[in-house]
Amino acid sequence: MSSILTYIAISEGKIKRSSLEVLSRSKAIADANGLACEAIIIDENASSFTDSVQNYGASKIHIVEDSIFSQHRNTPLLSALSKVMEASKPKVVAFASTEGTKDILGALAANQKAGVVADVSSFDLTSSGVIAKRPVMAAKVVGNVEVTGETILVSVRSGSYELVESPITAEVNTIEFSSSESDLKAKLREIISATGDTIDLNEAETIVAAGRGVKDEEAKSLITELARVLNAGIGASRALTEAGVYDPSLQIGQTGKVVSPQLYIAVGISGAIQHVAGMANSKVIVAINKDADAPIFEVADYGIVGDLYKVLPPFIEELKKLKS
Amino acid sequence: MKFYVCIKMVPDVYAPFQIKDGELIMDADRMVLNAYDASAVEEALVLSEKHGGEVEVVCIGSAKASETIRKALAMGADKGSHIVTTGDEGFDSGSYANILTAFLKDKEYDVLSLGKQSQDTDSGLTGSMVAELLHLPYTTNAVGLEIENGNLIVKRQGDTGQEIIELPTPCAVTCSNDMNEPRIPNLKGIMASKRKPIDTIDLASLGISESDLSPNSKVVSFEHKPARKAGQKFEGEADEIAREVAQLLDTEANVI
Amino acid sequence: MEDKFDCIVIGGGVAGLAAAITLARNNMKFLLIERGEFAGAKNVSGGVLWGHDLAKLVPNYWEEEDAGWERYINHRRLTFMDEQSTFSLDFKSKHFNETPYSGVVVLRSKFDNWLSGKLQEAIDASDYAMDSFIATNIKVDQVLMENGKAIGIKTGEDEFHADSVIIAEGVNNLLTRQVGLQDNYVPADHMLTGIKEVIRFDQQVLEDRFQLNGLSGMSNEYVGWATDGVEGGGFLYTNRDTISLGLVLGIKDLREKKKSPHDLLNHFKTHPTVADAIKGGEIVEYSAHVVSSGDSRAMPKELYKDGILIAGEAANLLMNAGKAIQGMDYAMRSGILAAETIVTAKAKNDFSSTTLKEYRKALDDSYVMKDINNFQDAVHLLHTDTMQNKVPNLVCDFGRQFFTIKNEPTPKSEKMLLGAIKKHASLWELLKLGFKARKSL
Ligand SMILES: Cc1cc2nc3c(=O)[nH]c(=O)nc-3n(C[C@H](O)[C@H](O)[C@H](O)COP(=O)(O)OP(=O)(O)OC[C@H]3O[C@@H](n4cnc5c(N)ncnc54)[C@H](O)[C@@H]3O)c2cc1C
Ligand SMILES: Cc1cc2nc3c(=O)[nH]c(=O)nc-3n(C[C@H](O)[C@H](O)[C@H](O)COP(=O)(O)OP(=O)(O)OC[C@H]3O[C@@H](n4cnc5c(N)ncnc54)[C@H](O)[C@@H]3O)c2cc1C
Ligand SMILES: Nc1ncnc2c1ncn2[C@@H]1O[C@H](COP(=O)(O)O)[C@@H](O)[C@H]1O
Repeated sequence: MSSILTYIAISEGKIKRSSLEVLSRSKAIADANGLACEAIIIDENASSFTDSVQNYGASKIHIVEDSIFSQHRNTPLLSALSKVMEASKPKVVAFASTEGTKDILGALAANQKAGVVADVSSFDLTSSGVIAKRPVMAAKVVGNVEVTGETILVSVRSGSYELVESPITAEVNTIEFSSSESDLKAKLREIISATGDTIDLNEAETIVAAGRGVKDEEAKSLITELARVLNAGIGASRALTEAGVYDPSLQIGQTGKVVSPQLYIAVGISGAIQHVAGMANSKVIVAINKDADAPIFEVADYGIVGDLYKVLPPFIEELKKLKS
Repeated sequence: MKFYVCIKMVPDVYAPFQIKDGELIMDADRMVLNAYDASAVEEALVLSEKHGGEVEVVCIGSAKASETIRKALAMGADKGSHIVTTGDEGFDSGSYANILTAFLKDKEYDVLSLGKQSQDTDSGLTGSMVAELLHLPYTTNAVGLEIENGNLIVKRQGDTGQEIIELPTPCAVTCSNDMNEPRIPNLKGIMASKRKPIDTIDLASLGISESDLSPNSKVVSFEHKPARKAGQKFEGEADEIAREVAQLLDTEANVI
Repeated sequence: MEDKFDCIVIGGGVAGLAAAITLARNNMKFLLIERGEFAGAKNVSGGVLWGHDLAKLVPNYWEEEDAGWERYINHRRLTFMDEQSTFSLDFKSKHFNETPYSGVVVLRSKFDNWLSGKLQEAIDASDYAMDSFIATNIKVDQVLMENGKAIGIKTGEDEFHADSVIIAEGVNNLLTRQVGLQDNYVPADHMLTGIKEVIRFDQQVLEDRFQLNGLSGMSNEYVGWATDGVEGGGFLYTNRDTISLGLVLGIKDLREKKKSPHDLLNHFKTHPTVADAIKGGEIVEYSAHVVSSGDSRAMPKELYKDGILIAGEAANLLMNAGKAIQGMDYAMRSGILAAETIVTAKAKNDFSSTTLKEYRKALDDSYVMKDINNFQDAVHLLHTDTMQNKVPNLVCDFGRQFFTIKNEPTPKSEKMLLGAIKKHASLWELLKLGFKARKSL
C-alpha cells in the first residue's frame, strides 16, 4: 500500500516540533486516504528518536544513521532521502520548512523527478495529486496551488498544524548508509552558532521582536528583560540583524524565519510587509511604536503608541506583577 | 573567476493589486529585478572587482525582461543573455530550472549564482534544482561569499547558526539579500549599459519546446490572506496604556 | 568631449517627456533624467489632460490597445454644493466622442510610464539611438554654471555636460531657484495643495453608475461646501475601473483655518451626493502634492537664461479658473516649445539667451500665456469668498425652492431667486460679481 512519508528534522539533538506538526497532518491525510503513514529520521543517532515519532502515528520509521549527519550537509542528506524514496515509493513526502529542508528540496525534486511545492500553510491530497495554500507576494496574497506527479514533495511552514498524538508501535526499517567527509566536494569548515541557549523561534510560545527603534544598550536591555519576564524568545527585524545588533538567525520575516507564537510583541518595528510576512500568523500581536501611523498597527491586536523607553518599564513591571 | 548570475524579473510587491474571480491582477508595468538576484549580482561584481573576473547575467522572460537585464548591466555586469518567452506560460521553478540547465550545460564558468528565492513566489527551489541537474556542488541561503585559492567560501545562514562551507569550482550558490546592499546604478553605469551586449535566445535554439516544460505545479487561484480582526490602539500617558495593555493580555487575551 | 549632449532634460513628467520626444524627433543628442524609479513613479497627481497636444506627440494614440490613458471626456459637470444639496451645470455631447479627443483622463504613474515608452521608441528611431538616454532613479543635484551660462548638471559625484538644460522639475522647483530664475521665497498664498484618492469599483458598476460607454468618461468639478470654507475646490474623474476623487486647497487658508487636507477630503466624502457616487468603492491609493494656483505672480522672473529653459509647472504654468485645472497640457505645450527652441539654437549653434528668449515669445504667442494672462481675474474671482461660499449656497437654496413642489401656491422663480440672494449675499455683491465674471470669463 502506498504511503505518505514525513521527514523528521533533528536539530541540536532534538526533534524539531514543526516536523511533528507535519507528521500529525500526514497521519490525518493517511487515515483519510487509506495510505500508510511513514516517517524518516536521518541523524547520527536517528534510532534514539523512534519512540517520540511513533507517538504521532508513524507505522513505519526509516532510519538512516551515520556520523556524517552530525551537522547539516546537503549532499549526504540528499542521497539518503533519494535512497529511501526509491525503496518505499511514497505518494507524498512531507517536510517541515526549515533551512535544512530548503537547502535540498529543489534538488531532491529534480533528482527524483517529483512534483514539489514549498512553504505551504496547508495541504491536502486529491485524486490528481496535492492541493496546497501558500502565501505569495510577500504574504499579501494566498495562492491555491495544484501539484501533480508520481511523487510529490511538500514543505510546510511551522505552526500550520497542531500536534496530534496517536501512539502506535512502528516497524523500524534501518537503511544501510555510509558516507565519509572526504567523499564530499563541499566541505563544512565550521558552524558559528547563535549565542548560547536562545529559544528556537519556531517553537517559542512568546516572542519579543526588536526593530530599529531599539537604538542602544538601554533599549536592548529592556528587550532582554521583557523576554526574561515572559520567558520569550527574542527575534529581530532586518534593520537590527543587518546592523549586527542581533544574530542573523533571529531575523523574522520574508528572508528570515516565519513564526507563529501565541504572543508576538513588536518593539520599535515599523511593520514593513517583508517583516509582517514572517509574523502575521501569530495568535496575539502587540506593537509598541512611537509613530501612530506605523503600518505595524494594522496587524496589531494591541497597539501601544508611545516611546519604548517610556512604555517598556511600566509594561515589564506590570507583567511581573501578573506573573507572580 | 567567471560568474553566471541568474536574474528574474518579478512584479513589484508594492504595486497595487486586485483579485478578481480568483485572478491576481497587478500593474503589468511595475516589474522589478528580484531583490535576491540584485544581491547576487552585487556580490559577483564585488568579487570580480577584487579578484578579477567577469559577470554574465541570464534572464528568462518576456520582451520587457530586457529592462531587468539592462539594470544588471547598469550595475556593472559585463554581458547579458535574454532567453525570450511570452511570459504567460505559467512556468514554475522546475520549468525555469530546465531552461537554465539547457542554457548552462555547455557553458564555462566558475560560480553559478542565483537568488535564494523569487520575491513574488518565495518558492526557493530553482537554485538547488539547477545545481542538481548540472551535477554541481552547491549551497543555499548564502549571506556572505569569499574566494580563497580558487575555492568559493560561503557563509550560509542555517537553522541554528552560520555554516562556513568551502566549495570547489565550478559550483552553484543561492544568495540571500542579507548579503549586501545592491548598488543603485549611477548615470555612468546606465549609459555604459546601453553599449553592453545582450544575446537574445529562443527556447527552440536551446533544443527545448514549451511542451517539455509543462509545469507540474500551477497556481489555480488567488485569494486575500485571512483578515485579522481589527485591533485596539492605545494612545496617551505611557505609564497608563502600558499597564492597561499588560492587564488585557492577561484578562482578555489570556496569553500571560 | 565625447559625452557632451545637445541638451539635458531634468524631470520625466509631462513637460520633460514632451520636450525629450520633440528633441528625439529632431535628432538631438540628449539625456532625460528622472528622479523616480521609473517615469511616473513620483507623480501622484492625475486628472484630465486637456486639448490636442497629445495627438501631436503620439499620433493616433487612441487607436493603441491599452495605451497609457484611462478614458476620454465626453461628459462635464460643474457642481455647486451646500451642506445638503448639489446644483450642477451638466454638459454631455456626442461631439466630444470625436478624435482627437479634447480631454483624456490619466493616472500619471501609468501615463508617464507609457509616454516614456514612446520616448524610447523615438530615441531608437533617431540618429542618436545609442547616445541619447532616459536615466531613471537619478536625482540632479545641481545645474553646472560657467560664467553665467549652463554647461551641464551634477548628480552625486558625476558631472555631465551639455549645451543646454531644460528644467522640467515640476512645482517643487529647487533647481529653478538655484539658477536664480525664481526667488527662494514664493508666498504660500500662491500655492495650493492637491490631495486625491483613487477609488476602485467593479468596472461594470462604475460604467453603469456614471453612465459611461466604452472608454467615455466624465469630469466633475465642485465648489462650495466641498472644502468646508477653505479656498479651493473638488474634483471627480472617472478612470478605467477607478475614480480619482480629490480636493485642491489653498495652503495659506488651510494654515489660517487650521484644517488638514485629509480631514477635508473625508468631509467632502460625507456629502450625500458624493457618498452616493463612491458607495461600495475601495480606496487603493492616497496621495498629496503641491500644485500652483495659476496666479501669474508666482511665476519665475524669466523662463530662460543662457543655456537654460524652464518648462511646465517648474515655471508655475497652470490655470485653474474653476471650470478645469490645466497643468498637464500647459506642461506638454511648454515642453514642446522649449525643445523646438533648443533645435533652433542647435541650428544656429547659439544657446545664449539671445536665441533662447524665442521660447518666451513662442509661449507668449501660444494659448498658454494668453489664457494665463486673460484669465487672471477669473483665477482671483474663483478664490473670493463670494464665489467660494455665497454663490454655491445661494444657488443650492434657489434650486431647493425651485425643484420643490409643495401642493401650495408656488412663488415665481424670480421671487425665489431674490429670496435666496437676500439670504446669502446682497444684490449689489452679485451685480459686482456678475460684472467681474463677464469681464474675466
Ligand atoms: C526582499 C526583501 C526581504 C526582506 N526581508 C525582511 C525580513 O525577513 N525581515 C525584516 O524585518 N525585514 C525584511 N526586509 C526589510 C524591510 O523591508 C524593512 O526594511 C525592515 O523590516 C525595517 O525594519 P524596522 O521596522 O526595524 O526599521 P524601520 O522601518 O526603520 O522602523 C523603525 C520603527 O521604530 C519606531 N521607533 C523609533 N524609535 C522608537 C522609540 N523610541 N519608541 C518606539 N518606536 C520607535 C519608528 O517609528 C519606526 O516605525 C526585507 C526587504 C526586502 C526588499
Ligand atoms: C491632486 C492634483 C490634481 C491635478 N489635476 C490636474 C488635472 O486634472 N489636469 C491637469 O492638467 N493638471 C492637473 N494637476 C496639475 C498637474 O499634475 C501638473 O501641472 C503637471 O504634473 C505638471 O507637469 P510637469 O511635467 O511640469 O511636472 P511634474 O509632472 O511634477 O514632473 C516633474 C518630474 O521631475 C522630476 N524631478 C523633480 N526634481 C528632479 C531632480 N532634481 N532630478 C531629477 N528629476 C526630478 C519629478 O520626479 C517628476 O517626475 C493636478 C495636480 C495635483 C497635485
Ligand atoms: N525566469 C528566470 N530567469 C532567470 N533566473 C530565474 C528565473 N526564475 C528563477 N530564476 C532564478 O531562481 C531564483 C528563484 O527561484 P524560485 O524561488 O524557485 O523561483 C531566482 O532568484 C533566480 O536566480
